[in-house]
Amino acid sequence: MAAPEPNADAPAIRVRALSKTFDVPVRAAGLRSALTSIVKRKTRAVEAVREVSLEVAAGEIVGFLGPNGAGKTTTLKMLAGLLHPSAGQAHVLGFVPQDRQKAFLRQITLVMGQRNQLLWDIPVEDSFERNRAIYRIAPADYRRTVDELSDLLDLGELLDKPVRNLSLGERMKCEVAAALLHTPRILFLDEPTIGLDVTMQRRIREFVADYNRRTGASVLLTSHYMADVEALCKRVVVIHHGRILYDGALSELVQRFASHKTLNLELEEGDEGAGTDLSRYGEVVSSGAGRASLRIPKAETPATTARLLSELPVKDLTVEDPPIEEVIERVFSAEAE
Amino acid sequence: MNALRLLWVFARVGAMGELAYRANFWLQLLESFLAMGSTLGVVAVVVSQTDSLHGWQPAELVAVVGVYFAILGTINLVIAPSLSQFMQDVREGTLDFTLTKPEDAQLLVSVSNVHVFKLIDVVFGLAVLALATARLGTEVGPVQALAFASALLLGAAIVYSFWIALATMAFWFIRLENVLMIFWMVYGAGRWPLGIYPDWMRWGLTLLVPVAFAVTVPAEALTGRLDAATLGGAALVASFALAGSRLFWRRGLRQYSGASA
Repeated sequence: MAAPEPNADAPAIRVRALSKTFDVPVRAAGLRSALTSIVKRKTRAVEAVREVSLEVAAGEIVGFLGPNGAGKTTTLKMLAGLLHPSAGQAHVLGFVPQDRQKAFLRQITLVMGQRNQLLWDIPVEDSFERNRAIYRIAPADYRRTVDELSDLLDLGELLDKPVRNLSLGERMKCEVAAALLHTPRILFLDEPTIGLDVTMQRRIREFVADYNRRTGASVLLTSHYMADVEALCKRVVVIHHGRILYDGALSELVQRFASHKTLNLELEEGDEGAGTDLSRYGEVVSSGAGRASLRIPKAETPATTARLLSELPVKDLTVEDPPIEEVIERVFSAEAE
Repeated sequence: MNALRLLWVFARVGAMGELAYRANFWLQLLESFLAMGSTLGVVAVVVSQTDSLHGWQPAELVAVVGVYFAILGTINLVIAPSLSQFMQDVREGTLDFTLTKPEDAQLLVSVSNVHVFKLIDVVFGLAVLALATARLGTEVGPVQALAFASALLLGAAIVYSFWIALATMAFWFIRLENVLMIFWMVYGAGRWPLGIYPDWMRWGLTLLVPVAFAVTVPAEALTGRLDAATLGGAALVASFALAGSRLFWRRGLRQYSGASA
């Protein structure tokens, strides 16, 4: 089969009304139904992904947000050719993913934060060597890539250690490097920083951003950590119950869904708002020692701010958007209503 | 060619992995030695009572043991560990890494894990086979040697197809560790020429679990018992087995990508 030649302007990923339904076995609790299920299995159709449509440009980093079971990983797996869609179409670099053509597979990579591809008992570099052989990377290219990756991720000392002797963070760095030896043009990163400490998370993030800048690869990322998404993705896709609830700029998401703002007050010393009932102004999130935080509906923010400034001895006042987690949570609960 | 290239890659990786635990080499040596010793011991007991077993001379019986061990070693060298690994990967979801590699997935899972120390069984088997052949005193001509090599290759292909078909069931049933035991429970029967068993068992060992093709047919080739029809039959069975298991694998893969979350 001829490999489609992607033209430069075409989106790297194009998805139209993609759906995935699983038949999930169900059985009631108890021995009787356990015995029955040996012979006859009952299944229930679960719609994991429903009519998802989106486009990702070459070089774009898109964050997939959603609670567990939202359909993020299922979508990612369909795009990586691991799952056949039940309906709809996907094109990645002009290929149909589930055909799993070699020319397609050579240009993508998959990193799963909860699973390892490195071999446990042998040094990291020997696992790399295995991937080199599978992807048929020319020795010179391979050497250059390994040097680059080990510079960027600081792998120097780790390469000749057996994987079982590495810490979780070290192992993840090596996993990421192993997944990039063939310099893929599309990166599917499924929770790449899960379980890592803050420093290591930042390290991986910076690396992904850098890889994207240098190679112009597109990145699809799912993560539970908002920090990942905030640092890497200008654009986010919020998925819930298999549907896209929001697809757009991260900043816009906050604008659109944040219903409240947080006002942080600092009052003059000696007058800590004693006797003043702050709940008159808004929902008191915290107060004490001359400071208070109030949650104010967005529309009322200007008026409330003016009232606070005129009625109380305010030393300092800041207005903040709520944390992104809160906004996302709101998106989900809005959908549930 | 590609299969050999990948086999070599994984053999190297496997060797590195195993050499990390050197003690295992000596243990394996001991294990192979004891297994071979006890099997030959039983043969010795039998031939001390009788000059021939169902027409097989003592040296010929030893040759069967040699083939038995060579095939056993080959299965344990690459087929069994790779396919156990595959079934584990299905359970744990790490098969996804294999499926995103630009290589034929069946080929990758079939050679992905090489236990190089099991070569010891192959070497022991071939050595015993060589000794037995020398003892036979009959000249092994080029035709016979060729027939033997073909029978061995066909046997290996049939056994491989059997294994991959068993392992493929993991796509549907996920937890299926014990299924591979089916083979081992029956394979032990291959230590003896199939002719000594009652009819019903011979059929089982030929059709249900292909021990006959794996061990007895090659041994027959070496001892000049094999006729062209049997060899042709083995070739036919091997082609069908390879093609059939390939189809089954594809169905399984389709099932996996259709159903797993």
